[in-house]
Amino acid sequence: MNVGGAIRAIITFLIFVVLHYTLRPLLGWRAPMDFLILALLLAAVRVRPATAAIIGFLLGLISDSLAPDALGAGAIAMTVVGFGASYLKAVFFADNLVLNAFFFFLGKWVFDILYFVGEQRVKGVELLQQLLLWSPLSAAVTAAVGVLLLFLMRPLLEPTPA
Amino acid sequence: MQRTLRSNTRFDLIVLSTCVVLALAARALPNNLREPVATGMRRTFLAPLVMLQESAERGRQSLLSADAKQQFLDSLSLNAMKASSLEEENDRLRKLIGLGSRLRTGFVSAEALHGRGVRDETTVILSAGSRVGVSRYSPVIAPEGLVGIVDQVDPTMSHAMLWTHPDFRVSAMSPDGTAFGIAQAHLTGATGGYLIELRGVPFRATLKPGQLIVSSGWGGVWPRGIPIGTVLQEIKTSEGWARTYLLRPAVNPADVYQVMILRRDRLGKGMDGVWESVAQADAAAQRIVVSGDSAAKAAALAEAAARRAVLDSMARANGAPPLGASTDSANAAAVARAAAARAAERRRAAAEGRAPDTTVRRADTARRDTVRRDSVPARTDTIPNRPGGGGTR
Repeated sequence: MNVGGAIRAIITFLIFVVLHYTLRPLLGWRAPMDFLILALLLAAVRVRPATAAIIGFLLGLISDSLAPDALGAGAIAMTVVGFGASYLKAVFFADNLVLNAFFFFLGKWVFDILYFVGEQRVKGVELLQQLLLWSPLSAAVTAAVGVLLLFLMRPLLEPTPA
Repeated sequence: MQRTLRSNTRFDLIVLSTCVVLALAARALPNNLREPVATGMRRTFLAPLVMLQESAERGRQSLLSADAKQQFLDSLSLNAMKASSLEEENDRLRKLIGLGSRLRTGFVSAEALHGRGVRDETTVILSAGSRVGVSRYSPVIAPEGLVGIVDQVDPTMSHAMLWTHPDFRVSAMSPDGTAFGIAQAHLTGATGGYLIELRGVPFRATLKPGQLIVSSGWGGVWPRGIPIGTVLQEIKTSEGWARTYLLRPAVNPADVYQVMILRRDRLGKGMDGVWESVAQADAAAQRIVVSGDSAAKAAALAEAAARRAVLDSMARANGAPPLGASTDSANAAAVARAAAARAAERRRAAAEGRAPDTTVRRADTARRDTVRRDSVPARTDTIPNRPGGGGTR
């Protein structure tokens, strides 16, 4: 990835982070989209797994800092998701919107599973309901929004022809 | 090549493990340490993000509460509008109840149903008919005064001609009975139909602006004393033998929705006390004006009398006859000379320390250079029933 591509990727990353802290609370949906996961996945497929793990760890700490009771849970989940996304990028990151959507969906769902299990705040039936109902819904919304943003930001994300 | 790849994978795994261990360490922090760490992050490099989130939350709260606030404002506005109309209606109904209590008997209350056509400004449908005693030519009144007259009667409703109708006439007069005339709608000019003309007022009778005009009772249709309007100004007409006045109507028919219809049996009992307060106020105002004139006149007379008394006293002190006495100039000169001689004698006596010649003595010893209060004749107060005072002072 050349310098221009790196700058564009960083800009995209920042846009997603900002959207996470502006649009998400503004909408206030019960099954919200997760722009941090989208940012992490888009960054992870462009870097090696170690870097993706570090990015995931930092993003997780950022999200956890706003929920101190779960400090560390988000960091673990995002570290794993980032590393996994970077490791499996050859499989998932094809030029296919459906595959990308599935990639986003899977990333968000895995994150939620790791997060809620690691957080240990929700337990029992409520945890099952969260993981089998609300998390997939949230993952679906995240995937839809991710695909839409990918479509809109394609000029920014596509690699510059050599 | 394969070795490098293996090395990279190992590096990735080491980094992953480190991150996971750090995250687990953060997760394992005791509660009293988690909060300072999180707070420190929020207050430093996460501050802009926290600020963004707070703004977004506030925006969401505003969006959520906007509908509720709008509904609240709408409800308030609706209630305010209702309150205003209810207050007006309450006021009108109170007046109507007051009129009813003063009329006591012989009336029918009815709602006035206005049409909205061109000719409907002069007529109105009333929700009471012959079954409750309404008959043709029954007067229609409102708390403020005259509204119109019933011209058609059905069993359950009736049709009334308002005073704005071109054919409407009522005999009118001033409350003190000094001026009589015929009141009818003023149909010419831009204000046609909304003012009243009082025609045929005798030329010797003048009415001042603001004076109340009431029905005279002549003709047998209208009882005496129902307010018709107040005088605005005199208008010039071709009739040289009588005056015509423009009146501001007591009642605007367009604003009347509840009225009283007087039954035949009520007409004979008169309207004494029904609008008495209005008429009394008008008469009282007139009396105050007249009394004020009388008081000013009496004060002027008293002042003139006092001045005359002073001059008389001075003249008597100088030995001259009182002013106003008929003397010719020779006698006046002789008297003046004698008075001067007496005055010189008094001055001389005073200088020698003996009593002056008392050939001419004064009846009183009061100083003559001031007006004696008791020399002013008592004035009679012409304002009756002055509060806190008697008839004389």
